[in-house]
Amino acid sequence: MSDAPILSIRNLHAKVADEDIEILHGVDLDLNKGEIHAIMGPNGSGKSTLAKLLAGHPGYEVTDGTVTYKGEDVLELEPDERSQAGIFLAFQYPVEVPGVSIANFLRTALQARLDEGEEIDLFDFQDQLMSAMEVLEMDPAFAERPVNDGFSGGEKKRNEILQMAMLKPTLALMDETDSGLDIDALQVVAEGVNRLSEENPEMTVLIITHYQRLLNYIKPDHVHVMVKGRIVRSGGPEVAEALESEGYEEFRTVGA
Amino acid sequence: MEGVTDALNADAVQSLASGAPEWLQNRRLDAWATYERTPMPSTRLEEWRYTDLSRLLELDSLEPLPWSKRTFDRASAPASLDAALEADREASGRVVELDGSVAHVELDADLAEKGVRLLSLRDAVEEIPEVLERRLATEALPATDGKFQALNAALWQDGIVLVVPRGVRMEDPIRVTRHVSRTGQAIFSRVLIVAEPGSQVSFVDEIVSEDLEEQTLFSSAVEIFAEDAAQVQYVSLQRMGRGAFHLAQQRTIAGKDSTLDTLNVTMGASISRLDLNARLMGPGANSDMLGLCFGDGDQHFDHNTSQDHDAPHTHSDLLYKGALDDRARSVFRGIIRVAKGSQQTDAYQTNRNLLLSEHARADSLPNLEIEADDVRCSHGATVGQLDQDHLFYLMSRGLSRPQAERLVVIGFLGEVLQRLPLGGVVEKVSRGIEEKLNG
Repeated sequence: MSDAPILSIRNLHAKVADEDIEILHGVDLDLNKGEIHAIMGPNGSGKSTLAKLLAGHPGYEVTDGTVTYKGEDVLELEPDERSQAGIFLAFQYPVEVPGVSIANFLRTALQARLDEGEEIDLFDFQDQLMSAMEVLEMDPAFAERPVNDGFSGGEKKRNEILQMAMLKPTLALMDETDSGLDIDALQVVAEGVNRLSEENPEMTVLIITHYQRLLNYIKPDHVHVMVKGRIVRSGGPEVAEALESEGYEEFRTVGA
Repeated sequence: MEGVTDALNADAVQSLASGAPEWLQNRRLDAWATYERTPMPSTRLEEWRYTDLSRLLELDSLEPLPWSKRTFDRASAPASLDAALEADREASGRVVELDGSVAHVELDADLAEKGVRLLSLRDAVEEIPEVLERRLATEALPATDGKFQALNAALWQDGIVLVVPRGVRMEDPIRVTRHVSRTGQAIFSRVLIVAEPGSQVSFVDEIVSEDLEEQTLFSSAVEIFAEDAAQVQYVSLQRMGRGAFHLAQQRTIAGKDSTLDTLNVTMGASISRLDLNARLMGPGANSDMLGLCFGDGDQHFDHNTSQDHDAPHTHSDLLYKGALDDRARSVFRGIIRVAKGSQQTDAYQTNRNLLLSEHARADSLPNLEIEADDVRCSHGATVGQLDQDHLFYLMSRGLSRPQAERLVVIGFLGEVLQRLPLGGVVEKVSRGIEEKLNG
């Protein structure tokens, strides 16, 4: 089992729930433990759908194919079960949770991972939270602010990485984490992810992005190009570089 | 003579009035006369459009509870009363009212020394008649205000009176706990708070009961005066059992440079109707008006508020929030009135509702009536569902669906509590919310 991919996607077809619009038309992808992958693609290619679907978003329905995570069928699991199993999605559009502080939210999320009767160590928690916030250059006062409520785009994205740092996933899915970030914020966020990668070398990361920009700071081992619901090319970092100079134009006809 | 029944009639008023000082006898009898000639509010009236009394209020079967001297024994307190007292924190004074009769009053000795008066309405009639003759059911909630204002003014059995003398500041709140145990009765009680110039007080008015087999009416008339530069916080915590019909009328009169804030928490009773009128009478007066309700089952909550700006440089800010589960429904109807000449007034009104079930319903009717031109006013209302993206976000962090829903509801309602974080109240309300969420 140690050599098997941590995530294995086979012939995945998916559509929007309640509608007959198929978005993924047969995706195949293997992610091994500790690898960093990037899926690049133009708008509407289905790359964000794939990320949300892997986390269990109820808005999509799998019509064919399989997704195996740690050797088990993940499609049967509720979003909270997937999270508890180590899957984390950094949202493209994080949701506001008024009245619930970041600290309280994270405490609740960590507590939910423990067995009944177990309690998280509050001092430990506070230490971890403060040091994670320091890495992400977040003001400690942020911990008491309601989750994403009134946050700027950059603050929301940092908050996503903060949650990732605290929840320590096995598989991190990063959905357009670079969108809406200026170059300084992008560097801070990338630095946060790189640190997490170093601290947890077994963590597998799947970066979903439109642009190559983020990949200048987080170096992927593998890059895949997705167009019209299919992966049309896979390779090393050179694929991203080629895309940067040539654009998606050459792929537009491939998926047609 | 709508609403006159075998039990609620002139004889009942007579028996309460007999032996009372003349001014009080007259006040009760006048109030009764007003009651008799005032028609029963029907759904044809805008203010009662969503609460059909002819269907919801079983007036014919209600008996006014005769006043009797009650004594309070903590050891034999019923469960809901015991729990409410148990959860209380520091207090400057405490009152326990049982079925509308004040059974226990205690007040910090230092405050008593400074002239603070905390007593039952019956005792106040004997001991401070001049205050009552001037203030009871006159300036704030006169019988002529409406059918039920009149009924309460005619038939009150007892109540609570607090007078805070000039400049006296009370560190801890006055905590009142009322308990209702008699089913099928009508209980009429009043609160009168007079905060003299420069004084400061918080008052927590909690009402609890077990579930009541037959409809039981609890009518509460609350009159609050904040004189010049006084600071008053009034909190009503309604956690009655099913079967209760809670009818609350509140009027607050804020004088020059005073602060008079209210928080109404409605969690219990089968039917709850609140009429709150905040009057800003002196320049510089300020009123924050907060409300929170959480309904489930078949609960029906109706909130009717008004913010009357009768002086320049006045400020009011209303935030009412409701969460509704099962088939519960709520109504919010609020109006801001700014009188001619009340320039440089700020008045805000916000009502937000969260529906947790497809069968729950919230109606929200904010309104403005502005006759001055140099004012800042806004009003807004929303009715929203617990949305999928919200739940997905929380669940993607490992929270189960019930945990996610709980966090959303607590966060949603918690915003109100954060605005008036009075010791003991936040915990009680949070626990009440938890109990409802646990079903």
